Amino acid sequence: MIIGRRLAATLSGVFAALTVGATASPVAAEPRPSQDPPKVQLVLDVSGSMGESYSAGQTRMDAAKQAFNEVIDGLPETVHLGIRTLGANFRGEEMDDEACRDSEQIYPVGRVAKAEAKEAVAALEPTGFTPISHALREAVEDFGGDSDNSRRIVLITDGEETCGPPDPCEVARELAAEGIRLTVDTLGLTPKDDKVRTQLSCIAEATGGTYTAVQDVDQLTERLGQLVDRSAEVVVEAPTAVEGAGDDCAAAPLLRAGVYSDREEMGEHRYYRVQLAPGRELRASVSVAADRPVDRDYAVMLRLLDEDGQELARGREAGHGRTDVISTGLRYPWAERAALPEADADGGSSASPSPTPSGDTDGDRDGEESVLCLEVSNAFSAPDSVQRAPGMPVELTVDLVAAADSPSDVAAFGLARGWVPLVLLTVTGLVAGVVWGLVRRVFA
Amino acid sequence: MSRHTTARRATARRSARPLTALALAAGLLLGTAPAVLAQDAETPAGEEDGTDGDADPAAEPTEAGTGFRDAAVLGESGRGTARATVGEFLYWAFPVAAGHDATVDAVITFEDEGDRSGPSVWQIDVHDGLRRKQACVGGDATVEAAADASEVTLGCALRTVRSWAEPWSGDPLPGAYYVRLTAVELPEEDLGLPVSVVVRTTTEDAGGAHARGGELGAPLVPTPRAGSLDTGESSATTEEAEGEEAGSDADAADPTTDDGVRFAGVVAEPDGGWNGGWWSDRWLWTVGGGLLGALAALGGYAVVRHPRVRG
Repeated sequence: MIIGRRLAATLSGVFAALTVGATASPVAAEPRPSQDPPKVQLVLDVSGSMGESYSAGQTRMDAAKQAFNEVIDGLPETVHLGIRTLGANFRGEEMDDEACRDSEQIYPVGRVAKAEAKEAVAALEPTGFTPISHALREAVEDFGGDSDNSRRIVLITDGEETCGPPDPCEVARELAAEGIRLTVDTLGLTPKDDKVRTQLSCIAEATGGTYTAVQDVDQLTERLGQLVDRSAEVVVEAPTAVEGAGDDCAAAPLLRAGVYSDREEMGEHRYYRVQLAPGRELRASVSVAADRPVDRDYAVMLRLLDEDGQELARGREAGHGRTDVISTGLRYPWAERAALPEADADGGSSASPSPTPSGDTDGDRDGEESVLCLEVSNAFSAPDSVQRAPGMPVELTVDLVAAADSPSDVAAFGLARGWVPLVLLTVTGLVAGVVWGLVRRVFA
Repeated sequence: MSRHTTARRATARRSARPLTALALAAGLLLGTAPAVLAQDAETPAGEEDGTDGDADPAAEPTEAGTGFRDAAVLGESGRGTARATVGEFLYWAFPVAAGHDATVDAVITFEDEGDRSGPSVWQIDVHDGLRRKQACVGGDATVEAAADASEVTLGCALRTVRSWAEPWSGDPLPGAYYVRLTAVELPEEDLGLPVSVVVRTTTEDAGGAHARGGELGAPLVPTPRAGSLDTGESSATTEEAEGEEAGSDADAADPTTDDGVRFAGVVAEPDGGWNGGWWSDRWLWTVGGGLLGALAALGGYAVVRHPRVRG
């Protein structure tokens, strides 16, 4: 019985030892400025071809007007909406400079007075040409100065650019690269037209938007509403634009936790610095977006280097085929690294009688923050015809969190499981009981 | 924030542990072990299905995101729908806790009226909270749809999520998981045609065999906040840098703006906490072993002492 009691006591002791709670200190969120209202600009093609018959006795223009009215009716309060036309005013037959600058803002970006907006749309008459590039540039201007929120342009057209070059796809890419967060969604009313489809899907790809081949007026309405709602419902803080250093880590920008955006050309390296405190873990993720036609196989690599250029961690990913982005990430706890430089420093000081200054700094670094270097590289390639500049969009997320607790045992709480430990414990108990019994027999 | 709650919850539960464990161990000894074990493995999964699948309407989005940061958020075991177009990249995010097996299924229904010109290949990619691509160990993640197919079904089963992994390993860890669904090969003419998509996530406890030790400092849920550059002069002191980092911790846990608007793409902590809770059937096995050992000790003692008692 004594052994039984002792076992019970031991077990209770084990349980008591396990009831050690984890501790954590409260942290306060820092205040942030409130969000700008989401802004959407609808760019409608009012070129001559929009007067062609679409479905059920409607012209394309009628279908677009119907869709616009329904979308304006259901517009969320928070959205600032603008409407711009292309090809609405030019009456001439010959395409000239004037025809290629024929784009007008018929409703300014802002809170929408529904009746007025509808009136403006109702008055539109199809005429003119399709200067998409010009309209896109103007539409971006309409959004006005700096805003940290996203801007969305929804382009509805039945024809391709009539005033190129420049190709509207390249214009869209340039606009998106100008440091503002721009998404262009395109809706094509003539899905069977190869040129229109190619151009519109290219514009969408260049800005991370979507292309829709509109089948009928119902789909046009639904899709338009969906795209406008998306800007209202989806709250995303625009990443901070940053420019990574090209070849020297010392000159790289020092990043805190958060999301950053940059541009990187094909095959380029970019460096960023991050400060990592003891007991913290660095987490970094990077996405490189393929915003233009690229060769079939591609890759991205994210490396973490210390001051001496030693690699501490890396993430890499390769892919092939159609993609929007390719991403990878890494995590690196500060504690893991402390042991290495320390060992080096010890080795150095024991070799020479007087410690060298470099050895000293190595020793001092223990327990202090270290500034680490993130290297983002990509292995995209493209046919020669594809423009290289501006570079492809890079999104870099940096998180600094508490480092993980390394487990003392791979099993949860070091607990056993299965028949082997069960039998082992039973046999151990039996042997202990027999031995104790024998001992009692001999000495009692 | 979430980390504290988990810790507190775990501590509260731990205080009740010895009694529960002993009671359960007694059950094991009485020969009901297999029944108890089986029940225990099933109940948590069943509960999750009930709560996350239907109860919360917010867990059933009718839109998909367009990227990692605006991914539509699903529950652990949730369902999402979307009306989209061929060629679009659709994103959803969902949480997975340690010790759980997650599966993603998607059904794409084509809504064009025979307009598609050729076969297309559809694919599910699952990325973890660090945007590392995670392997699909089960299910058909890449499926070719014939030109006249009316729908295509995809699936992807992830590896069991570990509670801890070495930093340089690519093992799945608790946190957000991102589902990307798209057509990876398609005839160019078919771009933009309408489809409707249903995506379903299923998360269940992997059982005691996968109960592991260790815990992350924070789940792999990336911050939704924009970054701020450290210009050097303003925050040269260590204290400020510390404060900044502490702030980022809170940011990662608090998925709302100051106006109380929820950021897109930020997953919520699962019901059982990110670490999957302290319970596993390992407690039963271990306690059962201890009790069997104790009984065997008593038995052995009695048998050896027996002759003496009789004599």
